[in-house]
Amino acid sequence: MNFRKISIACSFATFGLYALLILSLFYFFQGDKLLDTLLSDRTLFSIRLSLGAATISTVFSMLIALPAAFALSRYEFRGKRAVDTMLELPMIVSPAALGAMLLIFFNNPLGLWIQDHGAQFVFTFYGIVLAQFLTICGVSTRLIKAAMDEIPVRFEAVARTLGASPSKAFFTVTLPLSRRGLIAASVLSWAKALGEFGATITVAGSMAMKTETLPIAIFMRLSSAEIEGTVVLILILVSIGLSILYAVRFLSKGASYA
Amino acid sequence: MLEVTDLSARAGSFALRNASIMVPPSSCHVILGPTGSGKTLLLESVIGLRIPQTGKIFLEGKDITCLPMEQRGLSYVPQDLALFPHMTVRENIVYPLRIRGDKQDIENGIVRALIDSLAIRDLLDRSVRNLSGGERQRTALARAVASGCKYLVLDEPLSALHESLKKELWYLLKDLQRRYDLAILMVTHDLEEAFFLGDSVTIILEGRVRQQGIKEDVYEHPASVDVARFLGIRNLFDVRMERTTDGFLWGYCEALGTALRMSSSGGKLGANETSTLVAGIRSEDVVIMIPEASEPYGTNIVEGTVRNTFENGSFVTLIATSGSSSAVVEAVLPRALAKKSGLSQGSPVLLRLPEESLFLINGVFPKSPCTETPAVI
Repeated sequence: MNFRKISIACSFATFGLYALLILSLFYFFQGDKLLDTLLSDRTLFSIRLSLGAATISTVFSMLIALPAAFALSRYEFRGKRAVDTMLELPMIVSPAALGAMLLIFFNNPLGLWIQDHGAQFVFTFYGIVLAQFLTICGVSTRLIKAAMDEIPVRFEAVARTLGASPSKAFFTVTLPLSRRGLIAASVLSWAKALGEFGATITVAGSMAMKTETLPIAIFMRLSSAEIEGTVVLILILVSIGLSILYAVRFLSKGASYA
Repeated sequence: MLEVTDLSARAGSFALRNASIMVPPSSCHVILGPTGSGKTLLLESVIGLRIPQTGKIFLEGKDITCLPMEQRGLSYVPQDLALFPHMTVRENIVYPLRIRGDKQDIENGIVRALIDSLAIRDLLDRSVRNLSGGERQRTALARAVASGCKYLVLDEPLSALHESLKKELWYLLKDLQRRYDLAILMVTHDLEEAFFLGDSVTIILEGRVRQQGIKEDVYEHPASVDVARFLGIRNLFDVRMERTTDGFLWGYCEALGTALRMSSSGGKLGANETSTLVAGIRSEDVVIMIPEASEPYGTNIVEGTVRNTFENGSFVTLIATSGSSSAVVEAVLPRALAKKSGLSQGSPVLLRLPEESLFLINGVFPKSPCTETPAVI
């Protein structure tokens, strides 16, 4: 067996591991439970809540990650290394710890003031969005920065000597060239937000028809030993996530800048 | 006039020191140097991609040292051309117009004339990803000129091209320069390109400007041994100056075992009778004579033996050693002439070093190369 075959076999082995987990769900799958669970108000609410929160947190995350990634990719500034290191915080602390840090923050004077004079985050929809935003923001920034690092600075230099201001060079050259990276970063961030559990349940709790996202609903059904319902919810989550990821990959196929 | 004075810049551990250059309007100034000598660092400092540590840059009398790139009035073409890959040829060319908010179409004004003179009309709707090397080059030049800047800054833009295509583009660049009255500051490591395109030349070695001037001066009178070696001159010999007679300088070359008479214009140095200088001559200026076929006449004739010959397309490079020592003289002669002469390894030969082609350089070799025998012999 040559190197090519071994490496392809490893890629299929990875696929197989995850596929096996998905297939094993069907051991407890009951067809009649599918429609009941899927069409129940509680499940439909969880789906809407998960999709809405993941989308909003991804949009906010991209809005801040895009300029942040550009700065980290293009400029030298004091504190750059510290900023760069901090991006990994959500990866080095567990999601539950990140959620706990958020709860502790909102019990500090500044957090309390924000809750009193701004929006309520703890045990609300805003808390879900905030928890997901904090979980994915660092990853989004890191992914976009990697995409921008691959675009030679000379493109912007040439654009500027042709008369473009820094912002025009960014919007007419850098941004279109990093389109693939941006799509990949958005999709991965969205998918991560969709499946986020630890930070969300710590900040927003698990109130049915209020803060019960799909991952929380799965946890709740499993806690009450409702395996068949859990299986249906997992399949819904997997179907939504994988189909959207696959569709985006298919649509962005062949779009490369170099 | 683009003027750079006393510019120093740093990239990692490499430093460019006190570089000064002048590019008059409608002229081409070439910065020549080997890879890693600091040419690109100088260019990037001029266009504003790097901040110089010291020095000033003036464009038509205005200090542009601290101006942002888009306000400098310099159009830049990097080595990889940086054509925007997400745009067509047409979109690349009109980019500077669109950026200015100019609604002028590609069929109007300067752009129309430009695409015709560069013969890229058929390429306009093609993606720049699908262009050949020459087409990419012409598109990049069209875009740079379309910006309306009168000063182009080119960083080895032809280095990736095939020789024949490269020469075609030399003519095109010259034509473009004349037609649009452009001043060009260009970097290259290609000697032929530099002396073809440049009106004036700056030679940078190891981060320092070693020589600059009009190209004829630089070509004919290298200022140092390092510059001469960089210019590909291998015939360099220590000469002890002896006297000046009838406007000629006389010196004795121990390595060749003969006295050399040099035109006084060959050395701009204040040579006196006790000084030791380096005399040099280009391989193509050495005259080959066959002992049986010609009477040794004139001065500066060295008896030698052919040690090796190397064919180089239409030319043959001949390596000979002088009879009195192992000093090596390199000569280049046309292939047809070399064949006719029947010279081969071991043939006796007379080498004449014409006095008008000899030049003098201040200094001595750390180790005289004229006694070094190339490893291939």
